[in-house]
Amino acid sequence: MSTPSLTHPMLPEASHDEMAQQLFIRDLKMWLGGEIEPLQGEIARKLDPGPSHNDRDAEAFARLHEEPAFRSWAGMFRASQEIMWDDIWRSVERQADALDARADAVSLGSLKLDPDFKAPAYLVDGHVHIMPGGYDLDAPGVKQGAMMDRGGAVYMLGRNGGFLNDGRGKTVLAHVYALYPDLAPRRILELGCGVGTSLLPLAQAFPEAESYGLDVGSSMLRYAHARAGHLGVAAHFVQGSAEQAPFEDGSFDLVFSAALMHETSAEAIERILAESHRLLRPGGVAVHLEVPSRYDELDLWSQIRSQVERDYNNEPAWQAATSADYAALMRTAGFKDVAVGFQDAAWAPAPGQGGFGSESKGVFRSWFVTSARR
Amino acid sequence: MPMECCRVNLPPPTAGRREITGLSVIEDQALSMIAALASELAVARERIDTLERLLDANGTLPRAQVEAYRAEGEAAQQREGLRHSLIAKVFRPLRDASRRALEG
Ligand SMILES: C[S@@+](CC[C@H](N)C(=O)[O-])C[C@H]1O[C@@H](n2cnc3c(N)ncnc32)[C@H](O)[C@@H]1O
Repeated sequence: MSTPSLTHPMLPEASHDEMAQQLFIRDLKMWLGGEIEPLQGEIARKLDPGPSHNDRDAEAFARLHEEPAFRSWAGMFRASQEIMWDDIWRSVERQADALDARADAVSLGSLKLDPDFKAPAYLVDGHVHIMPGGYDLDAPGVKQGAMMDRGGAVYMLGRNGGFLNDGRGKTVLAHVYALYPDLAPRRILELGCGVGTSLLPLAQAFPEAESYGLDVGSSMLRYAHARAGHLGVAAHFVQGSAEQAPFEDGSFDLVFSAALMHETSAEAIERILAESHRLLRPGGVAVHLEVPSRYDELDLWSQIRSQVERDYNNEPAWQAATSADYAALMRTAGFKDVAVGFQDAAWAPAPGQGGFGSESKGVFRSWFVTSARR
Repeated sequence: MPMECCRVNLPPPTAGRREITGLSVIEDQALSMIAALASELAVARERIDTLERLLDANGTLPRAQVEAYRAEGEAAQQREGLRHSLIAKVFRPLRDASRRALEG
């Protein structure tokens, strides 16, 4: 992060002191994760009620809360996240006018906001990642998107493509090359595009295509539109829900999502998969990328860790999204030949690389993917 | 004491923040204040480090001059601003907890 080579003009800058704050919080998070978390794992194993217990993970999670060392770790884990947002919010607020001016300076593609749109309850009642205001806040100008973008880069600790944070999108592209090499999409849609980090690699790989990003927040989408424009990409950003996307049946050749499901709900996941089927023309391709862990295969501590994310970092559907039977859900959504597996994290995707298989290589090395042709 | 010098808009509130079972609300605040303090200290040390390196590279600040310095006038006022924003940052959990108590 100290030498941001992979960056873009809309990214909020950090002053000398703001950079020091952000590096501090990144390093505090790394220390908590690297030094203290393994100890929590050992404590969890000591408190393990054993494989015969019928609610093993939940019971161990409850027992951990009786252990002060766990509570202080959990408290500090969340404090670091809250401080990160507070630091970033202040920094964005300081430069809000400059960011809005920069946003106004380009206009490629389009932006379509819906003043009557209501975001789904799971995003409104609990702000994901405890980001103040949440994804859908209609903050003035581009502020909320700027906070999300800068926060995402600090949060990812530079493991997902620096300030471009585009590792997930590149991996979706690698998957398309691996399994659907003949696909030449004319219309692409990303469901839950956020600030557009994952959409851009697809839009850039298929410059002839019209690329659309759908998400819930107006400030976030204003930022996404400006960000894409400054990176020279003419993409179209639309406000709406992935559960009921404001597009016609059969109007896309490629519909994808990246790290969307675990921030929704069990019911929403089913509806979003069905939407991806409805939106595709026959022969079109749906790709859904998620975190690589599968809940049942996780060791006890990792299961507990995901409950920590759910309860203390507002990742509402983490467990639902990592336990879902995507092959079955995709078939219910109307798809026939469904691929389910892991795609190697790709940094320079190109046709002919493959990289899709049934084994995960671990977090940030693989992503879970389900895909199918309509 | 109204801190007119450094009034900033407050960040939007965060929805759905749960209590950590068994962690008292006040322990929760204390942890956060300690982390924020450590952050402030890290920032200050980096800044001093920057200054010392630049001064050293440019070759001209006798240490005694630093020791003898006292802030006055505008400099004193600016320092007050620094102190006030440090307080607002470190003790943020107190304000957040009060806001939550008022909302809930
Ligand atoms: C973890 S972010 C990922 C953003 C982006 N796909 C990426 O890879 O960087 C999840 C995004 O999904 C969006 N989201 C969640 N539920 C949604 C829904 N029902 N409709 C549209 N967007 C949704 C959130 O607003 C958020 O921007």
